Amino acid sequence: MVSKTEETQLNSLENQVDNGGGGAWEYLCLVRKLKVRRSDKVFKYGLSILNDPKKRSALGPEEWTLYEQVAIAALDCQCLDVTKDCIKVLQKKFPESKRVGRLNGMLLEAKGSWAEAEKAYSSLLEDNSLDQVIHKRRVAMAKAQGNISEAIELLNKYLEIFMADHDAWRELADIYVSLQMYKQAAFCYEELILSQPTVPLYHLAYADVLYTLGGLENLQTAKKYYASTIDLTGGKNTRAPFGICLCTSAIAQVSKGRNREDKESPELQSLAATALEKDYKQRAADKLGLLTSALRSMKF
Amino acid sequence: MAEDLVLDTAIRDWVLIPLSVVMVLIGILRYFVSKLMRSFQVPDHKIVKEGQVIVRARNLRASANFIPPKSFRSRRVYFSNEENGLLFVPKGQAQNAQAQMFSDPNMAMDMMKKNLSMIIPQTLTFAWVNFFFSGFVAAKIPFPLTQRFRSMLQNGIDLSTVDVSYVSSRSWYFLNLFGLRGLFSLILGEENATDDTQRMMQMSGFGFDPSKSLGAEKDGLDIVQHEWALPKFEHRAEAVLKKIVS
Repeated sequence: MVSKTEETQLNSLENQVDNGGGGAWEYLCLVRKLKVRRSDKVFKYGLSILNDPKKRSALGPEEWTLYEQVAIAALDCQCLDVTKDCIKVLQKKFPESKRVGRLNGMLLEAKGSWAEAEKAYSSLLEDNSLDQVIHKRRVAMAKAQGNISEAIELLNKYLEIFMADHDAWRELADIYVSLQMYKQAAFCYEELILSQPTVPLYHLAYADVLYTLGGLENLQTAKKYYASTIDLTGGKNTRAPFGICLCTSAIAQVSKGRNREDKESPELQSLAATALEKDYKQRAADKLGLLTSALRSMKF
Repeated sequence: MAEDLVLDTAIRDWVLIPLSVVMVLIGILRYFVSKLMRSFQVPDHKIVKEGQVIVRARNLRASANFIPPKSFRSRRVYFSNEENGLLFVPKGQAQNAQAQMFSDPNMAMDMMKKNLSMIIPQTLTFAWVNFFFSGFVAAKIPFPLTQRFRSMLQNGIDLSTVDVSYVSSRSWYFLNLFGLRGLFSLILGEENATDDTQRMMQMSGFGFDPSKSLGAEKDGLDIVQHEWALPKFEHRAEAVLKKIVS
């Protein structure tokens, strides 16, 4: 994930390039380093560099990396001819290359010929059965074809071997949430929290899943995770205070008959509500009325 | 004994500098040869999986306090379970790892190749130095040394009265051997085959790496006491919100 400073740097470079100042190559390098998906810009500027023979030769050996980057961006923008040209150039230079084979597979995917792409990927996997990127492409293919259960199966098999790959865990969590398999999604989010405990996004997502699962214990746990999100983001996150208010009222409803344990921060809900009101007043004053009525209905 | 020997500048021109130049050239030659000979090693399934298991177990140990106790316990059982736990290595298998490593033909060939590319040039250069550049004082070390270094640094010189700071060219060879590493990483980039000392250290720590680290992780995991950090967070969030609201 991209940090805030890197994102601002990227945006400022992008603005600079958009408005005619130079620096296209630095922009492309930064995009490549941060693995951000800005395919239209990459396509436009990368292609302009590649079509200009003077600039192209100025790149030296980096030229081939640029070809690969532009090929992938062209696939994203559905300009398959550009991709084919790029791949042809790369294949002439690196005839037996696995990376070019992978680009070919991606081209077949983009054209929609799933069976051929699957064949291409399997042959690449035969040479090196531990190629992480190819495994992930197969999962992406299964997902694009709508075959979610196969995507889940492939992803699980991938994770059995490469269990420290947190991107894969994230993808799996997304898929489970889309299928409403919340218990499994909770497991995936736990894995993510374990590997990166200071990323508030995962705490928030985990809390959402727990709140959706329901049940007293889950609600209490969800409340704690919303609190940790607030702590990790310094209070800037808007969903977390909402989560706290909802959790508290849900807990109150569920445990109506039994005596509630008030030792856990009773002020938290009122504080969260006040913080929300203040935030809305600052940023979206016209919606303040909606907020106050919603909060009032939540307070028991 | 304490007087300064005047060394001929011709020594500097014809011994020290050529020796360094030759060693640099041999290092560069070795780098390119190793690049040519390097075969693509297909990574082994089991080893990759074990590496990843270790990373995951380490994450579990490090951030155990961030997940609910039930999930932590179920994960701990999953890892260190007696029958099919990921980290559990039965005693018999642990011994096999090293034997397997030596009997595996590919790996043995690789190790041999690496060894050869390291040993042969070293031996040849050493013999050459001894043959051509022995029997005279080559340089003076700027700081005084004790008598114990005499046998190491002065073997061509058979006079026992010469100050130990005056060394033979063999010591200049060793100095270059260890000292040119920095120069090579400047010229050749990070990964160069001339990192002999590093390789030697790696070789001694070889052997049972995978199964030992699995056992170590398992022990570490068994020790961990789960102390759920989340309740503290509620209070901290309260403090944060209070600060914002006020």
